[in-house]
Amino acid sequence: MLSHFVIGAASGLYVGDLLFYAISFIILVALVKHFAWGPVTKMMDQRADKISGDLDYAEKSRNEASELAAKRQAELDKSQTEATTIVTTARQNGEKQRQTIIDQAQSDVTTLKANAQKDIVQERADALKSAQNDVAALSIEIASKIIQKELNATDQKALIDSYIEGLGKQNGAR
Amino acid sequence: MNEESYVVKFLGISFNLTNVVSGLIAMVIVFCLVWFLSRNLTLRPKGKQNVLEWLIDFTNGIVSTNVPGEQGKRFNLLAFVLFLFIFIANQMGLLVQVIIGGKTLIKSPTSDPMVTMSLALLVLLVSHYFGVAIFGVKGYLVNSYMRPVSFMLPINILEEFTNFLTLAFRLYGNIFAGEVLLTLIGSVAKSHGLVTTVVALPLEMIWQGFSVFIGSIQAYVFVTLSMVYISKKVEVEE
Repeated sequence: MLSHFVIGAASGLYVGDLLFYAISFIILVALVKHFAWGPVTKMMDQRADKISGDLDYAEKSRNEASELAAKRQAELDKSQTEATTIVTTARQNGEKQRQTIIDQAQSDVTTLKANAQKDIVQERADALKSAQNDVAALSIEIASKIIQKELNATDQKALIDSYIEGLGKQNGAR
Repeated sequence: MNEESYVVKFLGISFNLTNVVSGLIAMVIVFCLVWFLSRNLTLRPKGKQNVLEWLIDFTNGIVSTNVPGEQGKRFNLLAFVLFLFIFIANQMGLLVQVIIGGKTLIKSPTSDPMVTMSLALLVLLVSHYFGVAIFGVKGYLVNSYMRPVSFMLPINILEEFTNFLTLAFRLYGNIFAGEVLLTLIGSVAKSHGLVTTVVALPLEMIWQGFSVFIGSIQAYVFVTLSMVYISKKVEVEE
């Protein structure tokens, strides 16, 4: 090793090598920078940017998704309360309607009953009246046939009527 | 390994043709390698792009552990090229040694002290240049030579030279010794016919494998120490 180094020193230390290496190394660095280093580091930076951008985007989307989920939950709760309200209202309405119908029916029934009672009374009165008239006519006819006398129907009518009145009263009392 | 080299004189400056040719070949290999690896770059890396990015991440890691912060980023390229060049140069001599007419033409360029000294000088020039560029002349002098205390000045000045020499000769010594031993085992193999060849062949293989390991480690060590020296110049010591 020593002899080698001495040989190197003896022949002027090869200053040319130093110059050659300095210049060619700088040229090599420039070439590598232009053809490989520049493009690759640019690509690596781009990738780093893209990854960080994607991460940001993912973060944003996740926040948005959770926001949407919360909103949906709120909507769901709201619609549930709404449904409950609607059902309650419907039930109340139904109840009210039922009550109204029952009341109406009751009043109708009452009216009908009253009308029927009135009709019955009227009919009875009519029947009585017609029976009265028939009985009166019959009585007069019988009487006129029995007595064979000139009996003035109109004169005797008052008398017969009073009898029948008496009969009616007896009937009504019974 | 003690073969003569071709030496030519050009413009009164002597060139060792062995170093020039070997260095040129190493540089061409480095360039072709990164050029090949950096074709068809995509945002989603695959195949050879992964290899290149792994290499870049590796050398960036060396830089960022020694020169932390934004300051370190400007040395990434230097570390990358330096590492690849030294690595290729270290391995070259293990694969090919061209000897023509008793004179070596191609070997590991890093097994010559001139080459490693050139590289070390380049690194130290870079470190001093950026020291001045960042702190200014006065700041550079104070930061480089008066820290941690001013009476360290002579030691710090001495350190500049020892740094340079150790950086250069560590690499040179390792690679040179490796090649010397390879040549020795080779000559043993040729000395007594078939018997010695059979004995020497496994030894040669083992030592070659070890030299690959040493060459890789030395490339890493050279780049790491370069970054340490640079960081001493461009960072304020706390």
